[in-house]
Amino acid sequence: MLVLALFTRAAPLAAQAAPANKVAASVARIWGGGVTLDSVRVDSVEVLRVSKGGSLLGFAQVRNVKGKERPITYLVAIDTTGATRDIDILVYREPQGGEVANEAWRKQFRGKTAGDRLQVGKDIRNISGATISSNSVTRGVRQALAQLAAWRAAGTLR
Amino acid sequence: MRPAVPLALLLALALAVPLAAQQSDEPDEERTTIGGYGEVHFQNASGPDTPGVVNVARFVVFLSHQFNERLAFRSELEVEDTKVEGGSPGGEVALEQIYLDYMLSPAFTLRAGLVLPPVGILNETHEPPTFNGVERPAFDHDVIPSTWRDIGVGAVGTIPGSSGLSYRVYLLNGLLASGFTADEGIRSGRQEGREASFANPSVTGRLEWARPGLRIGGSFWYGGSANQDPALGTGTFDNAVALVSADARYETGPFSFRGVVANISIADADAINAAFGGQVGSRIAGGYLEGAYNVLSAVAPASSQRLDAFLRHERYNTQAGVPDGVTRDDALARRITTIGLTYKPVYNVVFKGDYQLRRNKAGIGEDQLFNLGVGYQF
Repeated sequence: MLVLALFTRAAPLAAQAAPANKVAASVARIWGGGVTLDSVRVDSVEVLRVSKGGSLLGFAQVRNVKGKERPITYLVAIDTTGATRDIDILVYREPQGGEVANEAWRKQFRGKTAGDRLQVGKDIRNISGATISSNSVTRGVRQALAQLAAWRAAGTLR
Repeated sequence: MRPAVPLALLLALALAVPLAAQQSDEPDEERTTIGGYGEVHFQNASGPDTPGVVNVARFVVFLSHQFNERLAFRSELEVEDTKVEGGSPGGEVALEQIYLDYMLSPAFTLRAGLVLPPVGILNETHEPPTFNGVERPAFDHDVIPSTWRDIGVGAVGTIPGSSGLSYRVYLLNGLLASGFTADEGIRSGRQEGREASFANPSVTGRLEWARPGLRIGGSFWYGGSANQDPALGTGTFDNAVALVSADARYETGPFSFRGVVANISIADADAINAAFGGQVGSRIAGGYLEGAYNVLSAVAPASSQRLDAFLRHERYNTQAGVPDGVTRDDALARRITTIGLTYKPVYNVVFKGDYQLRRNKAGIGEDQLFNLGVGYQF
């Protein structure tokens, strides 16, 4: 059975990029169905504009942050006011610490903006035994919100 | 020099093709990762003729490599007490973990090699910034014999659906009863993957449930220890050792708590004592409770640093049960209270100081320890 398992190769897990279907599923979960995604480039970084019926709902960005040893690929979705709508862990590659993908932890980010502190142990609760992943994802979301806010303020992301 | 150009061209082509085909793959330099942790200790025991001791307790390197999306190598190499020198005691260079992971899905990763039995909190997670106190809890030395490692195969994973449940289960090499002692229980029965006898395999596993701020776990370990010694038995599970353990970690605001309990039953402890002349208990039991408060949350709420004041109380007895022929030694019923400070400028660097009262039911050989330490992980 072990030998069989070793030679059974299912669809490969993507490395640093997230599979397009995972991004689409995440956006659909966060914004609901029927939204239109268009990809724009700001400072050569890809950002997704999310709209429905011609009106802009917000933005989403796929990023990576290093966990204990491997990159964690995550998505940050903000509305047009810059508040976090939700985050998603698209690909988690280590055998432990994957609880950061659970809604119970992710939902702490909803409503947070670039002006919030986003610090584990303060406004974000740690997951005991997944401290490195908790800190990494929190730092990653903080960076994403700061970058998106800066682009919005500069008018380069509309 | 003529072949140089075509050769270079061929090489470039050979390199370019797989690169183009694997656009989603990581750059090669990110496939191999180095991590580590270390700790330096100062310890001063009470009593006459006990000068302070300083020691580089541990220097550990994690080396891992990701061969492809699914297959990874992970290792932990440790130097204890700075160096190993011929003819002088102390010091250790040891591989604590070396295994291959084959990740079929987040729910199922096959693992084979030298691994850590998933028992309690500290055996698997022992980086200095993850626990309070300079020294690891004595419970995690005398009851759960950290760092416990052995060779085998198993599976780890998280149960899908945001349940917060995860598991690890292994078939590992077992213990040797010849190493069991009255005061350190099963500790010296570990073989640690060094030209080890594979007479008695063991099964061990753990189920965990994690929520923000909370992690609860239950662990077991079961295996024979007779090593085909005719005096003890030649069966796979003869002289069985059965360990069960439960643990919890909880964090809320400035407060954090953790606790572990364990019970180890040693079947045929009387036969083991008859064979090796020891005073091994038939039952080893105990645990500890610890609470901590982040003082900086009161005096400097804006700070992202932490200064945890903590109190830990350990109670355990390596002769909680004794077989016929063994008179219980009350000095083995230990009670250790530790009070101290843990300062973390960032979450993976730590400065520690603590004071330990080491007591026992017999009141024999009791002492106090003053400890200072620094540690890091990355």
